[in-house]
Amino acid sequence: MPWTDEELVAKSIGGDPDSFNELVLRWERPIYALAYRTIGREEDARDVCQETFLRAFRALPGFRGQAKFSSWLYRIALNLCRDWVRRERRTPVVQPPEDVDLIEMAAAAEPSESIEDLVARKDLTRLVERAMALLPEEQRTAIVLKEYHGLTFQEIADLVGCPLSTVKTRLYQGLTVLRRELARSNKAKL
Amino acid sequence: MTDSFCGYQGDRDEALIAYLYDDGGDARERVLFEGHLMTCVRCRDELAALGDVRTQLARWAPPEPAFAVGNGNPQSAIRNPQFERWRQIPAWAQVAAALLFLGVSAGIANLDVRYDTNGLSVRTGWMTPASGDTRFGGPAPSDVALAPNDVAQSGTISAPWRADLAALERQLNSDLRAMKAATTQASPVRGSSTTDAEVMRRVRALLDESEKRQQRELALRVAEVMRDVTAQRRADLVNIDRTLGVVQNNLGVEVMKDRQRLNLLYRASQRQ
Repeated sequence: MPWTDEELVAKSIGGDPDSFNELVLRWERPIYALAYRTIGREEDARDVCQETFLRAFRALPGFRGQAKFSSWLYRIALNLCRDWVRRERRTPVVQPPEDVDLIEMAAAAEPSESIEDLVARKDLTRLVERAMALLPEEQRTAIVLKEYHGLTFQEIADLVGCPLSTVKTRLYQGLTVLRRELARSNKAKL
Repeated sequence: MTDSFCGYQGDRDEALIAYLYDDGGDARERVLFEGHLMTCVRCRDELAALGDVRTQLARWAPPEPAFAVGNGNPQSAIRNPQFERWRQIPAWAQVAAALLFLGVSAGIANLDVRYDTNGLSVRTGWMTPASGDTRFGGPAPSDVALAPNDVAQSGTISAPWRADLAALERQLNSDLRAMKAATTQASPVRGSSTTDAEVMRRVRALLDESEKRQQRELALRVAEVMRDVTAQRRADLVNIDRTLGVVQNNLGVEVMKDRQRLNLLYRASQRQ
C-alpha cells in the first residue's frame, strides 16, 4: 500500500531522503498545473513549482500536520504565484513562445486528432485563456482550485483565508464573467 | 428568459454554485433548491449555462512540463524508474554492461585525433592504424598515431597528455583484466564454462560493435566541429576585416583633421 502524504512527511522529517522525493513526484504536476493556470507562463510556472518544493523542503520540520500536506503545498504555491503576479504587475496571459507553433506541437503530441479538431481545440483553449486572464486574481484562483484541483469550498476557504460564502460568491462571479466573455468571443468568431 | 423573476428565498448565487458543484453542504438546502429549480426557468437556464462554461473550462490543459521538477529539489536523488529497472537486471548482465562501458571508455581514452598536411585522421588505440571511414580529406596517415603500446611504453612522449592517457589506459586495462578474472572465477559456480565463453564472446562482439559505432559517431562529430570551426573562422575574418575598415576610416578622418589643424597653424603663423 502506498504511503500517505502525511506518512511520507513524517519519514522525511525523520531523515529518510527518498520520502520527500516521493512527495515531489506525487505533487509536481498538480502544483505546476496550478501555477501555470494562475500565472499563465510555462517557464515561470516551472520556476514557481520548483520554488514551491524548495520552500516546502526547508519548512518541512515546521510542518505540524494541522492542515493536509497538499493544502500546505498549495498555499505555498499560491503565495508564490501571488508574489509573481504582483512583481510582474501584469495580467497573466497564457502565451506560447513566438517560435512555437501550437498546431504543430499539438499535432506531434496527438497525431490521431484531425487538423480541424486540433484548430477548434486550440481556438477554444485560447478563448478560455483570454477569458480567465480577465478575471480578478481571487476569482481566478477560486475557479482554478475548484475546477482543476477539485478542492472543496471549505478547503479553498481555508487555503485563501476567506469565509466559505465568499468562495462561493467568487466562483459565481468568476463563472458569470467567463460565461459572458466566452459567449461574446464565440459570437465574434461567427 | 433569464429576465424572468426568481423568487428563491435565500442566497441564490451561493445556492446555484453549491448545486452546480454538488459540494457537500446542507442536504436540506439542496433539496429546497432542487424544488425551486422545477419552477424557476431563470435558475435552470443559468445553471445550464454555467455547466457549459465548466465544460469549456475542462478543455484547458496546461502544456506538459518539459522537465522533472525533482531535478531541482534539494535532494536531487529522486527515485527514477529507469534506475529501478536497472536494479532488476541480473548481475552477469550488469558485469557485461560494465565491461562494455569500460571497453568504450578505454577506446575513447586512447583516442588520437590529428589534423596535419595529410588531412584529418581519427583513431582509437584499439584500432589498427587509420581505417578509411575515420578520415577526412586526405590520404591514409600511415605514420600518424602511435599504437597504444607505443603510447604506454614510449619514453619519448612529447605531449604531457599522452602520459595521462597511457596511465589511464593502464588503469583501465588492469580494471578490465580484474573484472574478466572475477567473471571467470565466478562462472564455475553458476554454470558451465561453455556458457561463460559464450557470454564473453557476446561481450566482445558488443564491445567491437560499440567501438565501431563510437568511431562513426566520433568521426561525424569531428566533422561537425571542423565545419563549425571553419564557419566561425570565416565569420571572424569578415568581422576583423570590417573592424579594420572602420579603424582605417577613423584613422583617415583623424589624419585629415590633423592636417587641417596644421594648415590652420601654418596660416596663422604666416599672418604673424
